[in-house]
Amino acid sequence: MTDLATYRENARAFLESMAPKYGRDARRGNSVERDLALGREYMAAKYDAGFAGINWPVEMGGQGLTHLHKITFDGEEMQFGMPVHFFGISLGMPVPILMHYCEDKDFVKERVRKALRGEEIWCQMFSEPSGGSDLAALRTRVEPDGNGWKMNGQKIWTSWAQYCDYGVIVTRSDPTVEKHKGLTYFWIDMRSKGVDVRPIKLAGGDSHVNEIFFDDVRIEDSQRLGAVGGGFGVSLHTLMIERYIATDSSGFGPHLDEFVKLAKRVELNGRPAIEDGRVRSAIARNHAMRAGLDSITRRAFAMMMAGMQPGPEGSLQKLVAVRSRQKLSEMAMDLMGNEGLAFDPHAFVKTDWGTSWLNAPTGRIAGGSDEVLLNTIAEKILGLPQDYRPDKGVPFNAIPA
Amino acid sequence: MSILYDEGQQAIATESRRVLDARMDKARLLALLERVGEHDAPFWDTAVEQGWTALAIPEEHGGLGLGLTELGLVAQACGAATSGAPFLTGSYGLSQALVQGGDARLAGELLPRLASGDAKGCVAFAEGNAALPPSPGVVFADGAISGVKPAVPGGCAADVALVWVSSDNGVALVVADLAGARRQPVGSYDNTRLYADLTFDRTPATLIASGEAAKALALDVLARMAVVTAHEQVGGAEALLYTARDYAVTRKAFGQPIGQFQSIKHRIAEMYGLVEVARANCIHAAASEGSDDFLVAVADARISATEAYDTNSRDCVQIHGGIGVTWELGLHLHMRRARSLAVECGNLVFWEDLLVERLAGEAK
Repeated sequence: MTDLATYRENARAFLESMAPKYGRDARRGNSVERDLALGREYMAAKYDAGFAGINWPVEMGGQGLTHLHKITFDGEEMQFGMPVHFFGISLGMPVPILMHYCEDKDFVKERVRKALRGEEIWCQMFSEPSGGSDLAALRTRVEPDGNGWKMNGQKIWTSWAQYCDYGVIVTRSDPTVEKHKGLTYFWIDMRSKGVDVRPIKLAGGDSHVNEIFFDDVRIEDSQRLGAVGGGFGVSLHTLMIERYIATDSSGFGPHLDEFVKLAKRVELNGRPAIEDGRVRSAIARNHAMRAGLDSITRRAFAMMMAGMQPGPEGSLQKLVAVRSRQKLSEMAMDLMGNEGLAFDPHAFVKTDWGTSWLNAPTGRIAGGSDEVLLNTIAEKILGLPQDYRPDKGVPFNAIPA
Repeated sequence: MSILYDEGQQAIATESRRVLDARMDKARLLALLERVGEHDAPFWDTAVEQGWTALAIPEEHGGLGLGLTELGLVAQACGAATSGAPFLTGSYGLSQALVQGGDARLAGELLPRLASGDAKGCVAFAEGNAALPPSPGVVFADGAISGVKPAVPGGCAADVALVWVSSDNGVALVVADLAGARRQPVGSYDNTRLYADLTFDRTPATLIASGEAAKALALDVLARMAVVTAHEQVGGAEALLYTARDYAVTRKAFGQPIGQFQSIKHRIAEMYGLVEVARANCIHAAASEGSDDFLVAVADARISATEAYDTNSRDCVQIHGGIGVTWELGLHLHMRRARSLAVECGNLVFWEDLLVERLAGEAK
């Protein structure tokens, strides 16, 4: 058995021992606060068992294993429905960026340990009302203030900010140069004076994202990550860290097996729905598509194991999978008919078709909208030209509003 | 088997593509569209000369002893070039039936001839719109078959046929020398597929499997041919993707390359997605040869490859505008091939049903 296969077995054994207390069934009906408390406990248990910071350096408090070990663990963990969603962004991007750019290593080690144990959570403040897909259009302003900086402005769509202790943020330090060039990146304490976090209730009923207002917030220059004017580069670095993450060909919705079960259970015109050609076609097409995504993932994994760079086709995963989950969820609701009109606001996206459907639009927008992903594939993989860009080469403060 | 191509496999992919790029001629293929019963001899000579006929035949029978992965890579190159003859798939289907079937003498006699390209095979399973009819109209009795197999791919020129028939012991698979059959060429939208109605009238045939064994073997042969065909479809779909891309970066309208318009660039990005999903399924299907989930993997490959080739034919023509529908540009070679390959070896509906039967636990 390979090292990774053994690792997978150990991970599963650990997860199975945790599932009765922290798994999907144990969490059913939890309030967000209760779920977060449970999540913090689970993170501490994971840390003590040696499954935290899997691919992070040992000297930073990680396990010093490979990226493949991390994906292996994450893929297994995903199946148990543990309350880890509060910590995904925190450990996925801000904390690694802090490890990379922050020079006060003792401070970093303390933050890493507390973040891994779930005692502290970090958010990532990028999007603004004036630009989500167009990150460099951001307007949150920093100005020199003595030996540090003063920040004013607003961020939006920041996941879990209401529970966060710290965050990373990209700001505009110089509006007189091209928009990508005048940005600077910092970490901030979310409890600083002048930081006001307001949750936004989403269409699905939950409020995991926030808008954040900054009113003369003081930032020390020692909180700067990267050079003044180098914020766009640090932002891209942030987004690249999680390039090869554990994927889900179900688009983070219910597995196709659940749809097959439903189609066998309900009737259409007095016969099992599974016998209906429309239903069969939907199952077959979705299976073929998801199997293709799974094969792409397996091949990427095999390439990484062989020390090669995986192909660019991995960028298809979210685009293709979430879109199909949205449509399949609609069809599942059609098959359930009136029986499916009942809605449980606490149901899980991966087990409930209504919840999967209602939250699918978020999946198609967050982390790169379908349209931006298609542009990226067209431009970066296929060499098609960029769109018309009237803001190109223009100082930020001269871009037509 | 690994899902990463090794060096030898990569060399097969590169070399087959290089040879076909150098030798295929669009004008020749366009002319053949208007002639019934002729195939592109330079293509087939190349296939024989390059040893593609021998690739997947066991070494003890004069072959190279390689498998579906290698043959699939050659088929992908053939698909990109809209290859001018259907025998690679037909001969492979026949050879697999001989390798797995119960007549060692016949296998010993025919396999070396298929490997060397001296004999060309075809597979005559379908009747009407059924890829594998439960009660075939062609009947086997007293060592001979009688009846008609309609529009058999390769039927105009193949030497030997693997035929799906009825017999006293239920369904059966037999091998017949086509010297003893009447061929009626079928004028088609894709004439180099060499479709012919094959009429058998007490044509001598050798039984290689019957009953349940014949059913299992026929399905396995059909599935293997479907994997080869799916690779061919991916090759065609990929060629169309890059043809569309190349046109979109050079053709200008409203003062800019049309590829700068999102309606065009997103369409091309979607074409890429279809190709990569289908390619991944093909690689997995070829590597699953002989495993329990082979049929599921084949169905996935076939469904996604058919969708990719059909969609990319439509969209590539659309992106070209008026020039795309001209005879001379020849995009219709791919349009035609996308449909002929979609129908051969079981259509989309056949594979969708087969897949759901397995996923829903309906299959026996």
